[in-house]
Amino acid sequence: MPCERKPMRYGHSEGHTDVCFDDTGKYIVTCGSDGDVRIWESLDDDDPKSINVGEKAYSLALKNGKLVTAASNNTVQIHTFPEGDPDGILTRFTTNATHITYNSSGSRVAAGSSDFMVKVVEMYDSSQQKTLRGHTAPILSVTFDPKDEFLASASCDGSVAVWKIEEQTQVTSWPLLQKSNDVINAKSLCRLAWQPKAAKLLAVPVETTVQLYQRDSWAQVGTLSDDLGTQAINVVAWSPCGKFLAAGSIGGLLTVWDVESKLCVERQTHEKGYTVCGLAWHPSGGQIAYTDTEGCLGVLDGLSSSSSSSSTTTSSTMTKQAPASYDDLFDDDDDRPLDEGISEGARSPAKNPGDEDDDDDLIPATGRARNRSAFLDDENSLDTGSLKQGLDKFVDDVGSAIVLPAAVAAPLRPVYDGPMPTPPQKAFQPGSTPAHLMHRFMMWNSVGIVRGYNDDQDNAIDVEFHDTAVHHAMHLTNSLGHTVADLSQEAVLLACPGTDELASKLQCLHFSSWDTNKEWMVDLPKGEDVQALCLGQGWAAAATSALMLRLFSIGGMQRELFSLPGPVVCIAGHGEQLLVVYHRGTGFDGEQALGVQLLQFGQKRRQVIHGEPLPLSRKSHLSWLGFTAEGTPCFIDSEGVVRLLNRSLGNMWTPVCNTRDNCKGKSDHYWVVGVHENPQQLRCIPCKGSRYPPTLPRPAVAVLPFKLPLCQTTTEKGQMEEQYWRSVLLHNHYGFLSSSGYEIDEEGQSQAQKEQQELLMKMFALSCKLEREFRSVELAELMTQNVVTLAIRYASRSGRMALAQRLSDLALEKANQLQGEEPQEEEEEPLQYTRRNTGYSQSSSEMGADRQHSSHRQAQEEEVDEEQGQEEHMDEGDVAESKRQGLNPFAKGTAASPEKPSPKPVSKEGRVNPFKVSSGLGRSGSAGGQNRVTNVLDSMMSSSKKPTALLSSSGSTGKLNKTPFLKPLAPRPKTKTQSTLLHMNAPKAANKKAAEEREPAVCRLKQTEAPPPASPAEDVENKKHKSGFQLWLEDNRRIILADNPDLEETDVIKEAIGRFRTLSADDRLTWTERAKGQSGDVADMKKRKRGEESRGDKNGQSEADETRQSEADETSAKKKKPLDTSTKLSAFAFNKN
Amino acid sequence: MDPSEVEFLAEKEVVKIIPNFSLDKIYLIGGDLGPFNPGLPVDVPVWLALNLKQRQKCRIVPPEWMDVEKLEEIRELERKEDTFTPVPSPYYMELTKLLLNHASDNIPKADEIRTLVKDIWDTRIAKLRLSADSFISQQEAHAKLDNLTLMEINTTRSFLLDTLNCMYKLRSNLQPGSSGGKSQDHQ
Repeated sequence: MPCERKPMRYGHSEGHTDVCFDDTGKYIVTCGSDGDVRIWESLDDDDPKSINVGEKAYSLALKNGKLVTAASNNTVQIHTFPEGDPDGILTRFTTNATHITYNSSGSRVAAGSSDFMVKVVEMYDSSQQKTLRGHTAPILSVTFDPKDEFLASASCDGSVAVWKIEEQTQVTSWPLLQKSNDVINAKSLCRLAWQPKAAKLLAVPVETTVQLYQRDSWAQVGTLSDDLGTQAINVVAWSPCGKFLAAGSIGGLLTVWDVESKLCVERQTHEKGYTVCGLAWHPSGGQIAYTDTEGCLGVLDGLSSSSSSSSTTTSSTMTKQAPASYDDLFDDDDDRPLDEGISEGARSPAKNPGDEDDDDDLIPATGRARNRSAFLDDENSLDTGSLKQGLDKFVDDVGSAIVLPAAVAAPLRPVYDGPMPTPPQKAFQPGSTPAHLMHRFMMWNSVGIVRGYNDDQDNAIDVEFHDTAVHHAMHLTNSLGHTVADLSQEAVLLACPGTDELASKLQCLHFSSWDTNKEWMVDLPKGEDVQALCLGQGWAAAATSALMLRLFSIGGMQRELFSLPGPVVCIAGHGEQLLVVYHRGTGFDGEQALGVQLLQFGQKRRQVIHGEPLPLSRKSHLSWLGFTAEGTPCFIDSEGVVRLLNRSLGNMWTPVCNTRDNCKGKSDHYWVVGVHENPQQLRCIPCKGSRYPPTLPRPAVAVLPFKLPLCQTTTEKGQMEEQYWRSVLLHNHYGFLSSSGYEIDEEGQSQAQKEQQELLMKMFALSCKLEREFRSVELAELMTQNVVTLAIRYASRSGRMALAQRLSDLALEKANQLQGEEPQEEEEEPLQYTRRNTGYSQSSSEMGADRQHSSHRQAQEEEVDEEQGQEEHMDEGDVAESKRQGLNPFAKGTAASPEKPSPKPVSKEGRVNPFKVSSGLGRSGSAGGQNRVTNVLDSMMSSSKKPTALLSSSGSTGKLNKTPFLKPLAPRPKTKTQSTLLHMNAPKAANKKAAEEREPAVCRLKQTEAPPPASPAEDVENKKHKSGFQLWLEDNRRIILADNPDLEETDVIKEAIGRFRTLSADDRLTWTERAKGQSGDVADMKKRKRGEESRGDKNGQSEADETRQSEADETSAKKKKPLDTSTKLSAFAFNKN
Repeated sequence: MDPSEVEFLAEKEVVKIIPNFSLDKIYLIGGDLGPFNPGLPVDVPVWLALNLKQRQKCRIVPPEWMDVEKLEEIRELERKEDTFTPVPSPYYMELTKLLLNHASDNIPKADEIRTLVKDIWDTRIAKLRLSADSFISQQEAHAKLDNLTLMEINTTRSFLLDTLNCMYKLRSNLQPGSSGGKSQDHQ
């Protein structure tokens, strides 16, 4: 027989106990020798309600909301149920009553006492008593005939008697039992039971059997026995349908018989073999509750399905009342889930039955388990329901005689075994513990703690602030019975549900008010209860049972009011935002169907989220709702998954953490009190073995990290991806905050961006290492322009030319985008455009693009750095690595040239490097405003020039003594620059061609973008000039600009030229000296130096560059920051060496 | 060394507090502290914790070992073993004293803890005396004691050293004329 024996649980202290169900079957009620009556909402109820009825309680009976108990003070008392208020004394004996019972309608109570008497008392008038005298020993038990005609009693004198109540006479008596002198000495409690409904049979436990006596004839018609039953049966109880009989024995054996067939259909033993002394059937018949003499309570579950199936199989001529009684059953069951769902089920949102059994026993306050019995019953009823059609034919007059309208309707009900609706989750305050606890947190948020006490001594509310600077702690008497609270920096908001006399009230303690009235109160319309409330900045909101949301100003003015699309679950406020979660509809199979609205008040009043479904985990319910400290909506479900609103992804919810992952035990939970995005913290309270923390000892807050549930986070790749996306997600709030006009932490933002870019770069490097070039490009797409240049450098250094090529295209694209977005400064605009154009025309080769992009950027911001970075990057590439890389510079140069040779063919010129570096440096140094000009002009290196350049450079490196060759440079720069300028302003012929020819190497590098119009000759000249002039200009450009802020670009250059000319040759010489002084340690360095020196005699600037470069080396070696690429790059080059 | 000096050293130990004020990171020679967020536990040295506590700026979270059950275990172990058992903190005595004196309202079952720690202390000191006794009576030249805390060493150091010095003097006087000494005894 499939019947589940639940683990026993401690109910009372050791001694005699009794148990019964209430009329609806919702509660199990027990009494024990500790004098308490406990009301259990289920076996898992960890906080049963206790009513003290005396020093000891011997027996109890419950019907119609009246609880009758036999206590040790010789009285039979009445208490109201479930409140437990004393309701008078029903009757008294000269010694204690031993057993009491109701009749079927609940109008009378029979009580048997140790003073040998049985009394039958009318409930409505306790003076109407009938006393049945005749027993000669203490009464063991009494039972009413369901038709109220007879009463049966068993006594220690060994007799079982039947009495006619009206006449107070004994009808018959059987000497069945062993004699004893007191109840405690009796071998068996001999709890009699009369068959309900049909009332045909009286069951009498006699030794190990149950004897059945027929009504009226009083003849024994049968004996129920169990082979395994070796010990005396203590108690018997009929199932509500009257078809089954359960018995509990001294040895702890529980047996259920099908009375008709006299077969034992169920057999269970007490887990410890204690004596069963109380036994009761659930009104639905699906459950038996029993208690033992050790004070424990147990439940057998799942009986009705088993019994009904057995009934169908065992006898087709089953008792006629069976179908009817089943109908009865179903009706009960049908109503209950709905009732509970509305009334109390919601506190314990539906869980699918049985998935958390072990868990629940440990959870004191969740209340989740409460519905479980209902659920199980429900299932049972479904099972039986499917059988019912087969039973329908048995419905006859007996069935209809039972006055239940539903009994007729029930057979028509279609069989349904599809998804079952979930009882909707009840409204709650996020950050509060359940309302039924005596000591509870009414609110725990980032501002403070509101605690509620509701015990015998005190009904009070304590408000405490984390930061005592906000306000001092408050202690309030809770005379109104507030159940919900919220707390902000400005006020405490409290609300109580309405009662019959009093309307629901909203009370606000506005402690930050500057006037003397710190408090206001609002009565809600009759019949409307506050279900949830929240505080924002300057406003308060309350959601009510009338599906309305009422807004108030913090000073108590009523503001907007609107209807909610469904019953509210909870609401949360932050700043100008209001988040509302409500029931969108009925969920099925344990799911909740919740909708969410996000409203924004203040300047831009709008609804941000329009009632979209709230994505909960499967079979879970909402357990926390709120905002992060930065104002991003966030919620947590009962599975511990934390989800954050992703504003950048169309307001979708992204899971950012699963608190259960951090739990050690299965029944441990984290109770969240706050979420912070910066720093990334989930503040919560670890609760061992429960969902909620107790108020004492004061729980300590722990901090959990976020972790996006990305795949393969154990791998390096997964880890970095997780970090990156988490960083992106959790810094979304900057965008929101700035868009809604709040101040933002600029530093934090830039730091976050830096972090993200660093992660991208790392991922880029990783995927390069893994030969995933496509992925690398994908990553590069997420990078900022600065970082892309780094990536290009990385790619080219590691010899991935195809990748570098693609990246440079990408960089170009990005640059264009950037330019499109950002309005240019006036003076720069024209230049940029030209440059861009040139870029386009020439592009294609990676270096060209690269250059272009750099020039671009220069224009926008710090030209110098960028340019330098660029070049250095190239240089570095050259110097550091193989010849191939060395080619790059050439490639650049060539890019401009019509030939467009691919880097490789030109290569093999490892020699070129020294020159290149120096020249590059020189260029970078001079970059500044000059660069623009140079850029335009430089790139015009003609193909014809090139070869000479190459030759010269190679020659110089080879021989080391090119000095004479280069000497003439010093004077030249001026002229050259002049010429360039002239050229720019009005095209003009260059003067010194010879000089140009000597210097091509230097110039070559500079030439990035070639403006098509310039003639080759001019170009050459320009290039040469620049090398000298640029350097100087770089140093002095700012000064010039500072002196004459109004100057146009061209004017600046003119001015610069003027100043440059005034420079004495000596100055330059001193620079050269310096450069010599710090001659390099590395061979490369030396080479370069020599090259430089040779030039340097005349050209001081190059040395200056050199020094700078070396400095840069050091810095770059230490860190690679995306921002100042230039220095890094240069450093890089040297490191490589 | 003075006990107060040992206590001073103990004040460098780190303890968790829950501040009720908000303050950015503070940069001290000994290291950075904070940031302090109201309601969020933060690690600070004991001296600061006590200072803040006295100004009612924080609640102190008792160290993990400052728990009746754990201390009971330690006490039992300490009583069972003949040697010194490892203590939960090298400054257990000082910390207990400091925290219980200044923040007993933040420590559940403060009185029990005080008793337990005192018990442990007494047991250990008794052991220490015992071992000192056997050390002297057996006239050992050196001995090794593990798991002693600074405070415990401190209680016995001056006395023990002085005593040893004294005894050494006596003995060295005795040695040359040991016979004389004996004869004196006989007299």
